Amino acid sequence: MEPHERIQAACEFLLQSPPGEINDVLNDVRNIISDDELLQEGIAPALKKYNLAQFITVDVPETNHQSIISEAARLSVDSEEGQTQERWLDPRSMKTFVFDHMALEASDPQPFEPNEEFEPFRTALQKASLNYLLGHFYDGVSSTFASQTTPNQYILQIVANKYNPTNFWSGRWRSEYIIDLNDHSVKGSILVNVHYYEQGNVQLSTTHSISIMLPPAIVTASPESAGTKILALIETEEGSYQKSLNDTYHEMSEKTFKSLRRALPMTRSKLDWDKVLGYKLGAELSSSKGTFATGFT
Amino acid sequence: MADLVDSMLDLMRRLPPTKTEENVASLIGICPDYADDLLGSVDQPLQVKTDRATGREYLACDYNRDGESYRSPWSNEYDPPLEDGTVPTPKLRKLEIAANDAFDTYREMYYEGGVSSVYLWDLDDGGFAGVVLLKKKTMMPSASSEPSGSWDSIHVFETAERGRQAHYKLTSTVMLQLTIQSDDRTAEDKEGWKREGEVTLGGSMTRQTEQDWPIHDSSSHITNTGKMIEEMEIKMRNLLQEVYFGKTRDIIYDLRSLDDLEKTRRQRELQKELVGFIRR
Repeated sequence: MEPHERIQAACEFLLQSPPGEINDVLNDVRNIISDDELLQEGIAPALKKYNLAQFITVDVPETNHQSIISEAARLSVDSEEGQTQERWLDPRSMKTFVFDHMALEASDPQPFEPNEEFEPFRTALQKASLNYLLGHFYDGVSSTFASQTTPNQYILQIVANKYNPTNFWSGRWRSEYIIDLNDHSVKGSILVNVHYYEQGNVQLSTTHSISIMLPPAIVTASPESAGTKILALIETEEGSYQKSLNDTYHEMSEKTFKSLRRALPMTRSKLDWDKVLGYKLGAELSSSKGTFATGFT
Repeated sequence: MADLVDSMLDLMRRLPPTKTEENVASLIGICPDYADDLLGSVDQPLQVKTDRATGREYLACDYNRDGESYRSPWSNEYDPPLEDGTVPTPKLRKLEIAANDAFDTYREMYYEGGVSSVYLWDLDDGGFAGVVLLKKKTMMPSASSEPSGSWDSIHVFETAERGRQAHYKLTSTVMLQLTIQSDDRTAEDKEGWKREGEVTLGGSMTRQTEQDWPIHDSSSHITNTGKMIEEMEIKMRNLLQEVYFGKTRDIIYDLRSLDDLEKTRRQRELQKELVGFIRR
């Protein structure tokens, strides 16, 4: 494999990392590629892509909270030397910072001037989302942005992680809602990833998209009241999605799993292997599947 | 520096099981010298092939592969044909035929469909080893909202005879994959409301056991491994049930609570206050 193909493959591995395991994957990849210089340069874009997609959280300097690194938080700032610098916004503290995608650390905090026109609604949404977070997530982080491109559009992101390497499991819940007050729509998506790896490798991956229209009563309400009501809608949607996953589990376990392999044969007892040896039944049974079931009951 | 193969296996234990084949191919591309180590230690979904001579389906894996060809347990022929492909000795082949018949019965009793294959090979120390493969897929779902799934069992064993006893070492892997899609446009009959999604639950689990069993003749090996594999699959089916439908669900509930946590906190506070009040 050519060096650039090796890097390409390494990047693909990194992007598939389960929640909280990017460093473990990186260690394996380092050992496999065994060319740190080549790797360090080559994987930088993949690490950044992973952090953005996975809503990686960071301690915001000079605050006691975390914020989410995502596309919505990305800012291009022209520095005094005429160069563009990439900075990241924490809308909660209205600070921007430089982010190290390898060390996952923020530095050089600077104040940020928001567009005052959208601040009342954004802060109302932020307040309601922080309340919602306390109500339903154990280790949740949320960020509420005013869109940089579309006026009167807001982006609400939530991420909750649980890493438990000693018991070989990890999990991540991500949700994002784009609230557009121009066409009164809310477009959301929920992504859940779970990894269980004690003597095995079992992964749950779910995607769920939601598209709802805001009732007129919400749109015309005060920012404060609208924010609370929108979060109540989100709470209902996420709650019913979580409940629907229970039904999915039930369906998979009761229908699919059972139809793949029985717990015991139709006879309700284990096989008599001495008889099995004499039978030579298998081939005949396969060729007359329909009659087999009735033959044994 | 940690062993390269260990790093590869650790990586495969972390990356999504749905992409095992692609990722193994990438790893072989990066380290072609380790292809055999990797193919021999990473379990991949079994491929179903059709025996050209008998028309029967069989399972292909690294154990019945010689170069690019796979040997069928039914006709003992390689496909694509090989002039000098490795085959078991006549004595072991006889046992292999009987084992295939026996596990075909086992397959029908537990899987009520699917495909099974058994491959045996001689070991240098005089014993022999084998692999019992089972695969079942659900029927193509009639609607996309119906779940689909597949089950692959790979049981690798080694045996050494010790007088009238035989010692067995069994390593079993079950790969289970389940997928369901949902599409709900009619929710609450509101115009423009839409919800859709997909749930994929997949992976593999591996367990090992070592046991001694009595032997009367060579066919005892089939009854012994049969009992061991049957017991192991029953155990693993319970384990899969627990991990797939219990553990992964619990982890979701460790991330998000259906009940309002603030309410619970307030209730607890109130309770504390009450207890304090009574003590006073």
